[in-house]
Amino acid sequence: MVAMATRILTVEDDERIRTSLRLALEDEGWEVEESSNGETALNIFRRNPADVVLIDIMLPGVDGFEVCRSLRRISNVPIVMVTAREDTHDIVAGLEAGADDYLTKPFAPKELSARIRALLRRARTAEGPITNFIFADLEVFAEEGVVRRGNEDINLTKTELRLLVELASSPGRTLSRELLLERIWGYGYFGDSRLVDVHIRRLRTKIETDPANPRHVVTVRGEGYKLQP
Amino acid sequence: MAARASLRLRVSVAFGLGALVLAAGLSLITYELTRDNLLTRREDTSLARVLFNATQVSRLIDDETTEEQLRELVQNLYTPLGARPVIRFGDLWLSANPVEFSEPQIDPQLKRTVARGQAAQMRYVVGETPFAVIGIPYFDIDAAYYEAVPLDDIATTLSSLLIALLTGSAITVLVGIGIGIWAAQRAVRPLADIGEAAEAIAAGDLNTRLEGADPDLERLSHSFNQMASALQGRIERDARFASNVSHELRSPLMTLTASLEVLRKRQGDLPVRSQTALNLLSADLEHFKQLVADLLEISRYDVGAAALETEDFEIMEFVQQAARAAGHAPRLTRSPGAESLIVRADRRRLAQVMANLLENADNHAGGPTQIHVECLESTVEIGVIDAGPGVAPEDRDVIFDRFARGQRQGPSARGSGTGLGLALVAEHVRLHGGTVRVTERGDGMQGACFVVTLPLDGR
Repeated sequence: MVAMATRILTVEDDERIRTSLRLALEDEGWEVEESSNGETALNIFRRNPADVVLIDIMLPGVDGFEVCRSLRRISNVPIVMVTAREDTHDIVAGLEAGADDYLTKPFAPKELSARIRALLRRARTAEGPITNFIFADLEVFAEEGVVRRGNEDINLTKTELRLLVELASSPGRTLSRELLLERIWGYGYFGDSRLVDVHIRRLRTKIETDPANPRHVVTVRGEGYKLQP
Repeated sequence: MAARASLRLRVSVAFGLGALVLAAGLSLITYELTRDNLLTRREDTSLARVLFNATQVSRLIDDETTEEQLRELVQNLYTPLGARPVIRFGDLWLSANPVEFSEPQIDPQLKRTVARGQAAQMRYVVGETPFAVIGIPYFDIDAAYYEAVPLDDIATTLSSLLIALLTGSAITVLVGIGIGIWAAQRAVRPLADIGEAAEAIAAGDLNTRLEGADPDLERLSHSFNQMASALQGRIERDARFASNVSHELRSPLMTLTASLEVLRKRQGDLPVRSQTALNLLSADLEHFKQLVADLLEISRYDVGAAALETEDFEIMEFVQQAARAAGHAPRLTRSPGAESLIVRADRRRLAQVMANLLENADNHAGGPTQIHVECLESTVEIGVIDAGPGVAPEDRDVIFDRFARGQRQGPSARGSGTGLGLALVAEHVRLHGGTVRVTERGDGMQGACFVVTLPLDGR
């Protein structure tokens, strides 16, 4: 059996960081492809899509946010943003541009590996893997990562799909941010709840008819989120 | 600076004093003029009549006039308004009403003047009644005519006037103070605006500017706005600088961390000397990373770029998770109100507060023994308790200073903690509007108790 190694595309302008990350990630068992700027990264990805993309926010020319948005237009690939600043705006902007998770430099490559593994996990509920299901006016095709409303196909990233599946697995019940962080991103109690909030927002813009007044993905103040038909 | 009365009080008092001077001056002038006027008129009319009476008397008396005739004469004189006539005839004094006014009541000085042959008048009080006493001498016989004109009705009028004037003055003073308060408030209002703007800036709203200020205060508001702009510019520059420093420091640390991990994977292949060196490198890189993280965190306070990101969470679960994350299972206790108590706070910062307090207990006191959560009326207290040597009273304030290693730790103990942990605790807690203090344990045992107090209103 020829197991295809998982390929990670790193977009990082600092050569020393790029090289050291490649060495460390290869040690973790990943196959790594490097690029030093956004344009090259997009070209590489179009030619040969990676399984995960790691993007530094501060890039010369096209910045990390723009690379992220461009990638999202053509793919649902898991994206991890890397920032050297613990700036709230940067982090939220990165997540809104389509990143699935973020890390702040300096991080341990082991930590990055854990993040990548969490992002690559398949959509599943506590009972086991899920297949297709129907929820309200939405038809969910879990394998394909597609949600259909009538004749309209709605494209979800893997993380968004897992969020939807997690909420749909106990409809009407409120799930806390901490629980969602743990189930989907593999974080403990002290994970960044902005991950959940921004992803919920993105999910709403895709599946709600009026994202400003969501009918399905509902916020329960001070408690978390729930899905209702 | 010595305590000064407030501007408003001073303006009000000044207005009050001004009103008082004005009212008193006007009252005094009014009173004096009225008094003079009334008295002069009374005296003028009286004098004419007294002269007439005196002439009457002089025509009716001569050396042969008897006492009986004189008595009759004095009774029959026309004396309106209760005027009291007195006739001296030789040594004989006759008065119309000896009880009310007679010879003894005539002032000696007046008597002497009249005796010298001069008509005269004097004003003085007899009993309780003010009188104008007029004396007319006769030249052909040894006699004189006196008449005392009572002025009590004028006195009554004047005292009524005085009461009216005093009442008016008091009202004027009160109105003056009232106008003073109002004017002072009007005058101070633009200053209050400036004060509010300054408070807003101090609270972090750097975009605050004064607009449409009073023309008299234009210069002040202009320079205030300039100052605010300069401050904003400086804070933004500082924040940008801190952000750049952050990037410049974190990037090489990234390379170091990743490269070191590659080396550690191959640690077994290295000679013993290299392994030792690698371990030293690892330990100090970890320390350095923590130091950089703490420095960057605390520098956000120094440049004024620290902003709370609050959310609601259950404090007991939070504390429990914080202890677990720090690798501890101390006794967790709480007051009855703390159960399922929801607080609104910055979870990331509060997590760091807990982590640093627990780490502090680890480094200096052999680990925490108990965490106690106490719910008070408007605050919640989190106490981290250890069984270490405790903190000396003189160190209890400075322990929260940056790099204050104090008595608790010798200079050789580098490597445990960055020296910024407790300073960050203090900054984080202060940003929440709370306080942190260290005391001895409540149960009399040896050890320290770090108490974080947070307001429950969740500002």
